[in-house]
Amino acid sequence: MLILGIETATMQVGCAVGGHEGVLSSVHSAKGKRHAEQLVPSIQFACEQARVELAEIGLVAVDVGPGLFTGLRVGVATAKALAFSLKVPMIGVSSLDLLAFPVRFSNRLIVTAIDARRGELYYACYRQVPGGVQRITDLQIGSPDDLASELLASGEEVLLVGDGAQRHAESFEGLAKVELVDTGNSHPSAAARVELAHARALREEFERPDAIEPVYLRRPDAEINWSTRDGR
Amino acid sequence: MVDAPGDDRWTNAGSVVLGIETSCDETAAACVRGGGDVLSSVVSSQVDLHARYGGVVPEIASRAHNELIIPVTARALFEAGLDGEDVDAVAATTGPGLIGALLVGVSAAKALALAWDVPFISVNHLEAHLYAGFLEEPELKFPLVVLLVSGGHTMLVLMEDHGRYRLLGQTLDDAAGEAFDKVARFLGLGYPGGPAIDSVAMSGDPEAIRFPRSMMDDGLDFSFSGLKTSVVNHVRNNPSVSTEDVAASFQAAVVDVLVAKARRAAQQHGATALALGGGVAANSLLREQFLTACTEDGMHAFLPSRAMCTDNAAMIASAGWYRLRLDGPTSLDCGADPNLRLSTLPA
Ligand SMILES: [Zn+2]
Repeated sequence: MLILGIETATMQVGCAVGGHEGVLSSVHSAKGKRHAEQLVPSIQFACEQARVELAEIGLVAVDVGPGLFTGLRVGVATAKALAFSLKVPMIGVSSLDLLAFPVRFSNRLIVTAIDARRGELYYACYRQVPGGVQRITDLQIGSPDDLASELLASGEEVLLVGDGAQRHAESFEGLAKVELVDTGNSHPSAAARVELAHARALREEFERPDAIEPVYLRRPDAEINWSTRDGR
Repeated sequence: MVDAPGDDRWTNAGSVVLGIETSCDETAAACVRGGGDVLSSVVSSQVDLHARYGGVVPEIASRAHNELIIPVTARALFEAGLDGEDVDAVAATTGPGLIGALLVGVSAAKALALAWDVPFISVNHLEAHLYAGFLEEPELKFPLVVLLVSGGHTMLVLMEDHGRYRLLGQTLDDAAGEAFDKVARFLGLGYPGGPAIDSVAMSGDPEAIRFPRSMMDDGLDFSFSGLKTSVVNHVRNNPSVSTEDVAASFQAAVVDVLVAKARRAAQQHGATALALGGGVAANSLLREQFLTACTEDGMHAFLPSRAMCTDNAAMIASAGWYRLRLDGPTSLDCGADPNLRLSTLPA
């Protein structure tokens, strides 16, 4: 089964085509916030490079976040429209899960952190399991200092990855057991998405397109202000 | 007709355009054949989601569009009795509007066009409103003057031919619909303000208070912010005034100016017909006075149904069909422009 992976949760726009032969092509660009402009041409290009017709795609795998709201919506709307028109199933994968995948061979506690703006991070913790990693916490949002104290309290050896960790590097500098890694993997990759989705596709863990929505982790400001005003 | 590079390759009488509209708070999709035959038009309004905030909240609108875009599109195809392979082109609003909301529709539309291997067409929301009239009255003749009034825009446009417009006048401050919303909120009538004021005004006296008719004798531009201030001042100075009378008198002031200027524009430019468009065109008093004025002037009046006045995707599909004929397909690296203007000829 050929899989199209779509990735728009961070500043980076990516897509990849692959299947049981592995990743056949992948395209990533990160110049400016131009997700909507770049995604569809990237998909066209990735298919051409893989010598695959879009009609041969049998599964659309998309990053459901957390991440940039507008970027996520561009990715999810595009992915849902493709799955709908090609009449194929979908798989949604979290951006944080995806970041953990390339560093799965570490036996340390793996923590992924994506920039949530406003001085906050989206983050989650993972542990190595046979064949990959398993998330052992919820997807969370908090300040870099919140995360730093959690890591300190755990007392574990930690491998920290992601653009959010990079951006707030100073918050983790003093932690002796925490290693902040820049493996070139600070953005989730669409290629990793194809690999992860392939494993899940083999287990037939498909989702209906209408069940796939971005994971925001933050309510719209207007809603927050409204509840505050009402004292709820 | 204009000589068109695109010609009939994509746009013949049988070609079906799927239109998608997500510029504000309605998620809409429609199938239109040959630019004018509406096979389906589905509109999912989010008005309830925004009502308690007294206006459209962009982030809430964008989230809702993302949830609704595929079900609404699927419904439009189903109601038209079509499958994806029957669609000859996909058109979407690329502006003006809320950027996050626009991007949902544009992204979905481009993906559908890619998967079905058909042209994508970028449509200007304002141009689409001008086409709403043609959907119900294909016999409309150029030159035609359109009064486009909604929450976001108030303008008088001369349509000389398909794709050839002159902007004759526009609001210098608030849009007419915005004035309705602000006055309704001030009077505690709720949101959206247009229908709220329309219904309360029915039991009020439109001549009770003589609110100013801003710029009445002054060109074809509009101004409504002064009127809103007069309403606020009048109510503060006369706390016991009847809300019905205020609503009716305010509405009469807005409608007087709109109708007088539309009429003048049509006369000045030798138009044979006057058409209404935009959400405020659903206002009962405006429809009534517009019709009376046209009858007096011997002008053909065109009032689209309320469903065609408010935001919908049939008008997007229709405008898309004409745009495809004039310009050919839009590149798939197209994004959205929240401040997109109507491309007009020099006035
Ligand atoms: Zn509109």
